[in-house]
Amino acid sequence: MTRHLFKLVWNRKRTNALIILEIFFSFLVVFLVSTLGIFVWDNYRRPLGFSYQNVWRISVDAKRSSDDDPTGLAEQVKVFARLLGEVRKLGPVESAAGALVSPYDQGGMGGNWQIDGKQVKMELDIVDESFADVLGLRLVAGRWFQPSDNALTSDPVVIDQDLARTVYGERNPIGQQFGKPSEGERPDRVVGVVSDFRKSGELAPQSNFMFRFMRLDPPSPPLARYILIKVRPGTPAAFEEELTRLLQGVAPEWSFGIKPLTQVRASTFRLLLAPLVAGSVVAFFLLLMVGLGLIGVLWQNLIQRTRELGLRRAAGASRTAVHKQVFFEQVILTSLGVLLAAVLVAQLPILNLIAFIPPAVYLGGFVVSMTAIYLLATVCALYPSAMAARVQPAEALRYE
Amino acid sequence: MLKNYLKVALKVLARRKFFTFISLFGISITLLVLMVVTAIFDHSLAPHAPETRSDRTLGVYFMEMKGPETTWSSEAGYDFLNRYVRPMAALSGVERIALASTAGPVLSYPGGRKIESDLMHTDGEFWRLLDFRFLEGGPFTGEDEKNANFVAVISESTRERFFGGKPALGKTIEADGQRFRIVGVVPDVPILRFSSAADLWVPISTSKSSNYRQQWMGGFRALILARSRADFPAIKTEFQSRLREAEHHLPDPKNYKSLKGHADTLFEAISRLAFPGDTIDLRPEKVRAALLLLMLLFMLLPTLNLVNINLSRILDRSSEIGVRKAFGASSRTLVGQFVIENLVLTLIGAAVSLVLSALVLQALNASGLIAHARLALNFRIFLYGLAIALFFGVLSGVYPAWRMSKLHPVQALRGRSV
Repeated sequence: MTRHLFKLVWNRKRTNALIILEIFFSFLVVFLVSTLGIFVWDNYRRPLGFSYQNVWRISVDAKRSSDDDPTGLAEQVKVFARLLGEVRKLGPVESAAGALVSPYDQGGMGGNWQIDGKQVKMELDIVDESFADVLGLRLVAGRWFQPSDNALTSDPVVIDQDLARTVYGERNPIGQQFGKPSEGERPDRVVGVVSDFRKSGELAPQSNFMFRFMRLDPPSPPLARYILIKVRPGTPAAFEEELTRLLQGVAPEWSFGIKPLTQVRASTFRLLLAPLVAGSVVAFFLLLMVGLGLIGVLWQNLIQRTRELGLRRAAGASRTAVHKQVFFEQVILTSLGVLLAAVLVAQLPILNLIAFIPPAVYLGGFVVSMTAIYLLATVCALYPSAMAARVQPAEALRYE
Repeated sequence: MLKNYLKVALKVLARRKFFTFISLFGISITLLVLMVVTAIFDHSLAPHAPETRSDRTLGVYFMEMKGPETTWSSEAGYDFLNRYVRPMAALSGVERIALASTAGPVLSYPGGRKIESDLMHTDGEFWRLLDFRFLEGGPFTGEDEKNANFVAVISESTRERFFGGKPALGKTIEADGQRFRIVGVVPDVPILRFSSAADLWVPISTSKSSNYRQQWMGGFRALILARSRADFPAIKTEFQSRLREAEHHLPDPKNYKSLKGHADTLFEAISRLAFPGDTIDLRPEKVRAALLLLMLLFMLLPTLNLVNINLSRILDRSSEIGVRKAFGASSRTLVGQFVIENLVLTLIGAAVSLVLSALVLQALNASGLIAHARLALNFRIFLYGLAIALFFGVLSGVYPAWRMSKLHPVQALRGRSV
């Protein structure tokens, strides 16, 4: 039976090749959208590692042309420390921290480090001792930065669990030296480990993260770009104005922007999800188009084959048998298309073309698209095959 | 002859309504997506107010300073532009040159409410280079810039937010802790026009800090209005030679040795933004090719779909083809006829998609997803749409037509399949 079906498919190879090709591309479209969707969803459900509620982000623009530019830096760091001190005195402010990169920033700092012969990719932030408090970081081992770290001869760093696992495996990272110091620089020493920290927010993939200590006393570069403050719950938005006036009073030459982190988060979500939603809508319409097209093509093909099917009925095949034949022919076409696409798509995890997408996500995308395509193909085959089965032998043989 | 083909085409379409519907559905959706994308491109690239002269404007947007260890890429800085680009206004092919900052967010608290606006610092030439229509008052001038007068031009929606839409001329507006006197009100500029879009325009010299006067990198751009497009090559060459000259006077020669940059058309500038990795060395032709490839990739599935449907349709008409062949119609004639039929179908689909895309664009405008967008169809987009539709029609019609013409008359008359 199966062999026979394949033979039937082969006999109409030119028409069928086009249908297979169409299924192949439909699969790719669904795969693209569903893999991206699953990737984002998979990221979303993982713990964030910090809390954004009641946190406001103050961006501080000192009108510098670059972070590396040393002119006037010492003076500016002093002004920054004074800003931080003034903000902490305000009533609605529970705590305030300086940071070079803010959570939900789309850019940031990072790169590849050479650690114990291993290439380690990570992101980092330079923050002060209040940062953990403001963002509610959870300490897993060791301690967070403290003001007395200003006097240390080594540079204290806090790493997240991801990074601890990548670099130290099962060993205890606390007190270990982190990488090799470059010429004339202080060595980095791990003082604490926090739970996985995802700076770019819920939708971004997990990544290694490291915090360095921001030295304000004596001041050292680079200059922080943000003050993050934790405000008491229920602080009215009007407090922003008071805050702005205060900041402008301390540093009249600088510019400031204030935004609750919830707003920054919302706009990040919009920015990342808008293309995905647009893509899904387009993909949906493409599939609808393919579905309708398939119904039309199958229907037309069956009309052409009325005589063949009628002959089978006349020779004693039951209605179900004809129904089955037509249906399974469609399943074979679909399977061939899916198989082709699977071979292509499998290259992604095998060659690890996009490093930050884990293989499980590809698998999820594959399962979703396979289900969608089979569903589409079979639903489209249902009506035409039912029609074919209704063919009366006599009518079919007469057909001209 | 052609009239006959059209008649037959329409008759065939009317006969198989279900097929006509699914073909039209596919064609319209495909062209709809392409038209919307085209409209967004047109909106950001083609000459529209206030950038009505964008077709003969070049811009210096991005720069890269490079040393043995560090690479620093960002927007150009005021000091560099002022020293090396501004004097290019003396060239014969250059009509005028304007300097402006990138627009950045500033806060205001009128009456305790918080308003966030985008502020852009510009010189006086900016207002003569661009073509703003003034709802109230007029632009500030080079004189205002020289004397650091605290004057501002605001957009219509800024007037709405600060003054409830009442006349704002002469009133003062507070932004980022500074007070400006309003001298003009202009219609909103869509955020996609990144060389002019802002809510608030003020003189460069009113900047809070004077640091910008020493900066070679960061925060500024120059717009160069050429007398005609034919002057572009000369201007570009001159810009490169000034870059070479500037390399001898780099502000930090210890860390940085070379300076790169371009005088770009808007398309070139946006292309550089599209591939952030190699902003400076990117070749815009690559982007053009990538866009074309993307369009073809997107059209692949709809084309296959339409080819499949078309193939089934011809088989349906094999007896008609048999008769035509038997009476001596050549394969060429039949191919021509069928391609024309398919073109008729595609053009009907294009008309449907034109209406649909007008609706989608309106919805996009209303959604506020692209700030101040006034996406609309115009004749240029219509022409692009028509070209895409014709291309799509030929692409999806040729193969089925060829298959049809191969039909053997005898077999076709007997109603046998291909």
